[in-house]
Amino acid sequence: MSNSNSALNKKTGLTKGILWALTALLLFVTLFPFFWVFRTSLTPKSLIFTEPTAIMPSVRTWTHYGRVLGLIDRARAIELGGTGQSVNFGLNILNSFIVSIGVTIFQVLFSSMAAFAFARLKFRFREMLFALYVSTLMIPSIVMMLPNFVFVKDLHLLNTYLGIMAPTLLMTPFAVFFLRQFMLGINRELEEAAFLDGAGLGVVFWEIIIPLCANAMMTLAVITFINTWNDYMWPLIVGKKEEIRTLTVALGIFRLQTPQGQPDWGGMMAGATLAMVPTLGILILFGRRIVNSIGFSGFR
Amino acid sequence: MKKQIFTILLAACLVLTLWSNGKEDKTSGPVTVQYILWDANQLPAYEKCAEDFMAANPDITIEITQMGWGDYWTGLQTDMVGGTAADVFTNHLAKYPDFASKGQLVDIAPMVARDKVDTSVYMNGLDGLWATKDGKRFGLPKDWDTIAIVYNQEMINAAGYSAAEANSLNWNAKDGGTFEKFIAALSVDTSGRNGLDPNFDSENVACYGLALNHFDDRGQAQFSPMAVSNNWMYTDGLYNANYHFDDPKFIATIQWFVDMTEKGFLAPYEMTANNANPLFTSRQAATVFDGSWMIGYYSSSSEFPVGFAKLPAGPAGVKSMTNGLADSIWVGSKHKEQAWLWVKYLASAEAQNTVGTFGVVFPAIESGVKNALAAYDAKGLDVSAFTEEATNPGETFVYPIVDNGVKISEIMTQTFDSIFLGVTDAESSLKEANKKILDLF
Amino acid sequence: MRETPNKRKRKSLDKQGAGALLFLLPSLIGFAAFFIVPALRGIFLSLTDWDLLGKPGFVGLENYGKLLTDEEFWNSMLVTVKYVFWNIPLQTVLALGIALVMDRVTKSSVFRGIILIPWLLPNVVVALLWLWLLDPAVGVINSTVQSWGMKPINFLTSTELALPSIAGINIWRHMGYTALIVFAGLQGIPREVEEAALIDGASPWTRFIRIILPYLRPVLAFVIITSVIGSFQIYDTVAITTRGGPITATYVIYLFIFKNGFESYLMGYATAASMILFLILMGVSFLQMRIMRASESDF
Repeated sequence: MSNSNSALNKKTGLTKGILWALTALLLFVTLFPFFWVFRTSLTPKSLIFTEPTAIMPSVRTWTHYGRVLGLIDRARAIELGGTGQSVNFGLNILNSFIVSIGVTIFQVLFSSMAAFAFARLKFRFREMLFALYVSTLMIPSIVMMLPNFVFVKDLHLLNTYLGIMAPTLLMTPFAVFFLRQFMLGINRELEEAAFLDGAGLGVVFWEIIIPLCANAMMTLAVITFINTWNDYMWPLIVGKKEEIRTLTVALGIFRLQTPQGQPDWGGMMAGATLAMVPTLGILILFGRRIVNSIGFSGFR
Repeated sequence: MKKQIFTILLAACLVLTLWSNGKEDKTSGPVTVQYILWDANQLPAYEKCAEDFMAANPDITIEITQMGWGDYWTGLQTDMVGGTAADVFTNHLAKYPDFASKGQLVDIAPMVARDKVDTSVYMNGLDGLWATKDGKRFGLPKDWDTIAIVYNQEMINAAGYSAAEANSLNWNAKDGGTFEKFIAALSVDTSGRNGLDPNFDSENVACYGLALNHFDDRGQAQFSPMAVSNNWMYTDGLYNANYHFDDPKFIATIQWFVDMTEKGFLAPYEMTANNANPLFTSRQAATVFDGSWMIGYYSSSSEFPVGFAKLPAGPAGVKSMTNGLADSIWVGSKHKEQAWLWVKYLASAEAQNTVGTFGVVFPAIESGVKNALAAYDAKGLDVSAFTEEATNPGETFVYPIVDNGVKISEIMTQTFDSIFLGVTDAESSLKEANKKILDLF
Repeated sequence: MRETPNKRKRKSLDKQGAGALLFLLPSLIGFAAFFIVPALRGIFLSLTDWDLLGKPGFVGLENYGKLLTDEEFWNSMLVTVKYVFWNIPLQTVLALGIALVMDRVTKSSVFRGIILIPWLLPNVVVALLWLWLLDPAVGVINSTVQSWGMKPINFLTSTELALPSIAGINIWRHMGYTALIVFAGLQGIPREVEEAALIDGASPWTRFIRIILPYLRPVLAFVIITSVIGSFQIYDTVAITTRGGPITATYVIYLFIFKNGFESYLMGYATAASMILFLILMGVSFLQMRIMRASESDF
């Protein structure tokens, strides 16, 4: 393996140089905006527009972080150019964790069960039902928003965790689609042997399919977690109450306050930096597993 | 082992999910009135009002939620659809006619009459904006705003202008009057020549004399001070839809702005399409027009002293649009009587005096304005330009309230885009736009 | 095949109908409640004059009839299609390139992680961030350009550049995510096949065209089809950076739907527009699957 690798990867010095230069450029384009997020989060309000090219502002301040974390009282925060509304950072981040973890676990579990049925089990209308699942991917989400909002309200779930989680808790078409594609690529021999030994569907699913799909499920879990964490519109309309607001919604207050105003750039960038810490952590924790060994079979 | 962890996590999630159930509305005993507003800067003032109100009305609890302008209206609309909107909400002139015509607002005219609320105490005809022609009323004024010139003090001093001179400029559509000289003197090119110098390089401007936000149908802090002072008016009056965007006086005004861009005195559209105030705070523009609600923003985000001057006087004198907010009661409120008490309180001299002391907004009652002026004064800000326009007779006008506001705004925004990008000329495109607007009705 | 196992297997298959239902049940509940029912309601509402706050009244196909002749609607559709053409080809090529770099140049998982970072920021923050970076007056990019003595570039404020700039912003956010899926596909290519080609003296380009691309086809099909669906629904970035302007340069279909529904209170009309968008997406996806023979394999 190492032999073949070196043979395939043998490049001339020039090609290698160009490739590395392009890679470096790519990394710069990817990372520079993040540097700017961080730099802006340290910039005092009066310098935001006056030192637009400075790599670091001449005066640096941590007060934006203090405001986001609620360490600075409101009068002082307004004086520093912030908003009067405080972000209850600890509570908001807890809400985000509850919602994101809840959605991730249930969605991945139930979607993998459905994917198993679509990939492996034979039943009437299987292809039709699957086509129906996939076609809902194409319905503009704006169509779903209002009916779902009214439905969640009728269930008395407004301003609850369950209400925020509801639409994506049991499945998303994307998750079922994604996992089915992986399951189609799994060798059938193991399952067939298990069936021969008289194992039931449940055993086959838990003992064979889940372990074989672990990496794909992990990938989906990370995708689901990050999407749920960053979701804005739905948690905004369903969870307006302060005690239920997720972090992304809460940080929305740093956007436009009044028509024609300016966003609170410093507060917003400090908030964005802090809000990224958990998702970055997830990526670092699970990143290796996601990318190292997923086989993918595309469309079948 | 792994499976066990998984099971525990699952169980934990289920518990968390079920544990969080919504609170039920209380039907008897103390009542909670939900109130929403968008401006976080005003939140402390209204929290103080709520405190005072609750002390006087121990049976009513006021619960205030703030949501930024960007999400406020979509949030409110979905809540109205879902039947969960706040009892009382801060309303805006551009938005309320739709809510009213769709039956979402409580007509408070009977309550005003019953409780003998004196509506003559409010300034500048603000009161009429919230009463319709058929005798209904959807709000009581709580504040107002006017437009003024916001300038960089260092720059106008360097150009040889005093605050008093800046405060008494004049303008006309033919030669731009002293105002055009003013912004010419403030424009500086990259070689340090100002706009009065015949060699001024309009292609390479380092600092523009004036910067304006992109133009829309109202042009509140853009064309409206000039156009209206040029004896022009949008329509024939409140609720009238006979638009005059094709009037020669209006076209001449817009042409003057286009000329200013070409001369290099007004920042080009491309630089201000998103927002003009960064140019000002970064010293790339010496003046802007803006509303009194932005006073706090300019004073806190500029590194230089900021001054406020009255708008230039045109052929018809100084003309500033004045606008005001009011609180409306949602038709689905379960506690309309208590909601009315809160609305009435916010429109009272007592509450407006309180709001005034915070110095973030001008209350609709004159005594509150005095408090606000004192509060701004304590911060070292002279904001009399705004209040003088409001109190001098004839220096303000109100924006006509009409239907189809969204479509009109869209047509005019696109028209102004193409005028200022040089795609079309002012005269023909404004005439065409006006025709399109009249066709809407 | 031997007889007994086959029989037994069939026996186990007979039980599968009931078993399948059990496995599908949770997802079916979610699917029916939050996808099918709202979609059906959407179809109904598209046939009404619903004004968002009142009661919907049935108007038959009137909304669809009006849409067919609505210039603004078709213009926004055209702008959206242009956007998709700015967005997808560039994003896919970049993702493919990055995936190859991940596979051939550096196997570093740190590199893979970094490439994914833009995707961790919420849409809204990404849009605001780039609005800030690209600002003609105070954005760092234009300030740098100006310090080199050049005129500022009107990324979001000129009719020519606004749409490509918005596409660029979204490519920046999504390319790492897309590259990762393509990279996963690359892992499935058997090394021996490429080794053999190398020994036969095939150039890198030949290897790319003859081996890598065919093997990647199913993955690329998945990536392209799902990104095109997402691309047609571009909204946040436009709403924050250009609001449809300058003039109508970035007036995409979602903005049309949103403005009609929530600002002009023509919710029935807006829903009908969404339904037409849905049909177009179905057609486009079907066509793509055909062209890319998405469900077949070359090997």
